[in-house]
Amino acid sequence: MSTERIRVKGLSIYRPIIYGNTAVVLTPEEREAHPSREYTHRWTVAVRSASSAEDSDIVGGADDLGYFIRRVTFKLHETYPNPSRNVDKPPFEVTETGWGEFEIQIRITFIPEAGEKPVLLYHHLKLHPWTASGADADAPPPTDVAAQLGPVHSWQYDEIVFTDPFQQFLNTLTSHPPTQLPKTRRRPVPFHTANPSSLDASKGGVPEFTAAMEKEEIQRLEEARKSVVAEQEKLHASLIEKEKELEKLRRDLGDA
Amino acid sequence: MAGASAADPSTPAPTQTKKNIPLARKPSGISRELYSLIGPSAPTLVAQVAKPRLKQKPNLGSGGSTKWTWRSFKNPARTDRLELGHWVKADTDPDAEYSFAKYNVKLVDYTYSQDEYIKFLEDPEWTKEETDYLFSLIREYDSRFYIITDRYEFAGGPPRSMEDLKDRYYSICRKLIRNRPWAGDEASKSQLVSSFQFDKEREVMRKKYLLSLENRTPKDLAEEEALYIELKRLEQNEKRFKQDRERLLRTLLGVDSGLPDLPIDEDGPLGDPKKKKKGVPGELDSPATPSSSLFTSAVPKRAQSAKSAAHDALHCIQRTDGTTPAGSMLRSFRLAYPKAAIAAKVSQMAAELGISLSRLVMPTRDTLAQHDALLEAITALVETKKVADRVDQEIRTARMRLGMRESETPAETPMDVDEDRQAPDTPGEGRAQSVVSTRSGRISSVDTSGTSTTRVGTKRQKLS
Repeated sequence: MSTERIRVKGLSIYRPIIYGNTAVVLTPEEREAHPSREYTHRWTVAVRSASSAEDSDIVGGADDLGYFIRRVTFKLHETYPNPSRNVDKPPFEVTETGWGEFEIQIRITFIPEAGEKPVLLYHHLKLHPWTASGADADAPPPTDVAAQLGPVHSWQYDEIVFTDPFQQFLNTLTSHPPTQLPKTRRRPVPFHTANPSSLDASKGGVPEFTAAMEKEEIQRLEEARKSVVAEQEKLHASLIEKEKELEKLRRDLGDA
Repeated sequence: MAGASAADPSTPAPTQTKKNIPLARKPSGISRELYSLIGPSAPTLVAQVAKPRLKQKPNLGSGGSTKWTWRSFKNPARTDRLELGHWVKADTDPDAEYSFAKYNVKLVDYTYSQDEYIKFLEDPEWTKEETDYLFSLIREYDSRFYIITDRYEFAGGPPRSMEDLKDRYYSICRKLIRNRPWAGDEASKSQLVSSFQFDKEREVMRKKYLLSLENRTPKDLAEEEALYIELKRLEQNEKRFKQDRERLLRTLLGVDSGLPDLPIDEDGPLGDPKKKKKGVPGELDSPATPSSSLFTSAVPKRAQSAKSAAHDALHCIQRTDGTTPAGSMLRSFRLAYPKAAIAAKVSQMAAELGISLSRLVMPTRDTLAQHDALLEAITALVETKKVADRVDQEIRTARMRLGMRESETPAETPMDVDEDRQAPDTPGEGRAQSVVSTRSGRISSVDTSGTSTTRVGTKRQKLS
């Protein structure tokens, strides 16, 4: 018992997750049937494992996260009845209808033996299709156009990191190794505002997270850094020139 | 009877043939006695008496003579376009670059700004002026330190030895490399830093040793020689003594008579003085055994770590250095953010690069590390820009003061020409207008302000 309550020092263990939402436009019939006429979309907000199951029609969710997550609380907009939705068993998701985008607070509570505090994250519910600029500067397209574009996916990859976990919890985690992300792209790339150029690659079906995305991001950051360093070197050289010039001017001033 | 008589002569007959057949097969070149002793199993000697093969004669003079031509060539190291001629083989490409040009390696010029000097390079032994002087000499003489030491003459400075100069130069280079943002990976950075390694103490010591070696008198040399011979003699004596002793021990303790487990102290009661040294790594005379045992112990460890690395990757376990507090968090919580004072400029620059610093697509440990490095580089760039702007400002004020002084004393024309030439080099000054107003509206200064406004225009374009 005493050994179980000891933290294993010097290591961290993480589990790749994704959180976000998928939204579809309601058909005219569905809208007619709905008590509230102005509702336009049906959306599902969820917390799932990052890798997608073979041939599944959802983003992520290859693994059941119930072995370390006890509860996920989705805090919806106050106008929803009972806005704080607790989901105590997988799949950790909430499906609702609505007409507007808003911020959803997601609280992930771990199983008691983890002995860890819950983590809190925020997701901006995305109903309208992504645009090249990433931001919704212009008005969203009318619903019939949006319906043709297919479901909107907005997912954020992240990793839940447990630093120096308790031995017993570590054992629980290691007995459930997560499904590795596929190395190469098999389906569309999940769109992300931090990488606007992925817009075209995100079209045409249910996206999937891959390890290649990480590589691509590292490369993107590295290239940016290289160009910054190159510019820095150039600026630095000109700065030294300027300093020399200033010194010369000062000398001239002193002489005169 | 008849059967027996028939059998009788038949019995010796096979024995006779038995004897005869091998004898008949006896190959030539082997004596009969030897052959009957070793029998037919003897190796054939024929193969061994084969004719020795001789080395093939080199084929000389069959390819004909090579044609050489006299051609003029350009040395890219020269700036004066001087053309010299040389003999080359006729079949070489006439347009090929001069083959020795690749040895003309230009030194990477390390320079520092005022800011960097104050931050990293201050040294109580050196003034900035003297450091500047040293760097100008190094540039001029392409870091040929013997020449630099020879020409080194800094008024008011203390006398400097070559080691002093080298130490100062190399330490500055190391500091600059270490403190500047680096485009490549860490390994290449540390490799570059180590190429500028200079140990002054060691170098001084080395030269002292060389000097003392050079300054030995013939008497010293003779004595050294005698001592060396004496040492060799002692060593040989010791070896012989050891052998004798070993033989004696074997005889006495009966190692040869089947008692191999008997402990024998090979080093003798006094121990071999050499043996004690053997454990020291890097010693020249250390045998292979200690190091090889080190290797064998290291190899399985590495194999095990590779195995555990695979295990770690499977379970998403990462080894930490203990600086992160225990507990749960999301990876993206560790995303570094810029300093508040320059945050706006940093994020603007990131936006120009098409990078969002506030969010990552895949926040993993590796992407976060890259993100950190990028943020650091951008911060350095923003800070350099700040310094550059300040220097720009100072140049402008200095110019203005110069201009004012000039308008007071219009006799000083040479200064004027100089300034007009320099003015277009400085981008975007709003103050150029005021310079114009203070100076008595000469054509040259109007011209200056014109160029500077176009400069401002291009800068805006770039920003948008």
